Amino acid sequence: MDYTIIQKYLQGKASNKEKEQLFNWLDESASNKEEYIEIKKIWALTSREKNVEGKTWSDIKPSESKPAKTKTLQHWLARAAIFLLLISCGAIGSHFFSKTIENESPVYSQMCTIISPAGQITNVKLPDGTLVMLNSGTKIQYSNDFTYGNRQLYLEGEAFFDVQKDVEHPFIVNSEFLGVKVYGTSFNIQAYPEDRAYTATLIEGSISLLNTSGEEVTKLVPGEKAYFAESETRIDIRYVDTEMYTSWKEGLVTYRNERLEDIAKQIERWYNVEIIIQKEGLGDERYFGTILKNKPIDQILEVLKLTTSLEYEIIPRANEPSLIYWK
Amino acid sequence: MSFTDSNISINLALFKRGDEQVFKLVYDNNYERIVGFCMQFIPEREEAKNIAQQAFVKLWTNREEVNTCNGIRAFLYTAAKTDCLNYLRHEKYKLNYQQDILEKREKLLNQEILESFKFDKLEYMELEEMIQNALEKLPEKCRQVFVKSRFEYKANREIADELGIALKSVESNITRALKILRKELKDVLPSVLWMF
Repeated sequence: MDYTIIQKYLQGKASNKEKEQLFNWLDESASNKEEYIEIKKIWALTSREKNVEGKTWSDIKPSESKPAKTKTLQHWLARAAIFLLLISCGAIGSHFFSKTIENESPVYSQMCTIISPAGQITNVKLPDGTLVMLNSGTKIQYSNDFTYGNRQLYLEGEAFFDVQKDVEHPFIVNSEFLGVKVYGTSFNIQAYPEDRAYTATLIEGSISLLNTSGEEVTKLVPGEKAYFAESETRIDIRYVDTEMYTSWKEGLVTYRNERLEDIAKQIERWYNVEIIIQKEGLGDERYFGTILKNKPIDQILEVLKLTTSLEYEIIPRANEPSLIYWK
Repeated sequence: MSFTDSNISINLALFKRGDEQVFKLVYDNNYERIVGFCMQFIPEREEAKNIAQQAFVKLWTNREEVNTCNGIRAFLYTAAKTDCLNYLRHEKYKLNYQQDILEKREKLLNQEILESFKFDKLEYMELEEMIQNALEKLPEKCRQVFVKSRFEYKANREIADELGIALKSVESNITRALKILRKELKDVLPSVLWMF
């Protein structure tokens, strides 16, 4: 191949005829194409475009808080597969729904409530076909007109959603501070009341965060995590390792300041053991952290030991559940 | 002037803290190369610039995630690559309805090339070092021409005038440089992305 044609093409000066010549040459063999790709990569990495307009960093630097943008619903239609994770949201108090929803949907009085007790992961299929996996200690509520296209629900806790595609009816997950709106696809939300903060992590696709008035606050791109604390005025957005935020689906259970006595009850169920708490006050100690449910019991106890005053002794018994003393 | 001349050492702690002066330095030393990179794949100049600028915005937003000075440039190239690819993939849908086969082929080829780039931190450091070394190995005249053409925004005509050589000679020196660089860099710039 005449390199002057390649050069002209790289410099953006090739005529259509020369371009055709080049592409014909590329088609001739895999090694031709390989050669061109390598050249092009060197060209791209050694490429400099003079900053003739003199654009400076202060010209493009974003303002600290992301400005609220109002996008049309159609804008979201183009977006596909979405995984989202919202971590922690503020206390819910007595009212479960943001003002918007109350105004728009007075029928919320007839509600369905699904609760996944502490220590359990619960799978649910919603009336529209959406699959929801609720993490430990999570509650979702939706009105019974959900079936008729009002795809809104309220979440307290953490859940993974695989949303049934329906471009006409947006799927909205509300919580105290922020909401999320999608049209189909999968995302994960965590919104525990005690944190007074809210985090959303997007793994794939695109997602819109809504304020309590239902207006779009910002959009996330894959790999981004949005964090909003009640005490702050801005939403912090950054790249994260998203796998970390979906690991609970793989059998991880997160305890958020739960009493050891309650945790003991769950462990008794999971492992078919009997736990006797001997030490005064130990049952009232609180544990905050994540444990892997399908690990051997001694590993779980070792993890609990790290942040509590727990000591234990396991006594295997024949024909009866093993006995474990917590002391 | 060399490939890595602008690889200035910066105070990473200040960078992470969001120091304006440090970030400005990073911007000034990388802006032209990131725009240049994007323009190699996106023919729409404004769009290419926009993508490059977004790369800096992303770097700013995620500055705390950057752990080495070398990671900064790798991050910028990665962000530029990702957004160029998103743009091209989106354009592809439009192109389905277009008659311009040539344009379509160009975009698909550019997409393929972008996909084969790897900008992992360590690999990028190695790549940059190897490009620098390869440039130094070029014969003197050849290197002069290439550096003027690639890093000093000079047109072939200008280079010919400056160095007092024929236009043809400028072209042949660039060709020569490309051939030598390709030989030197073949192993670090694979044309196929090996998944395993």
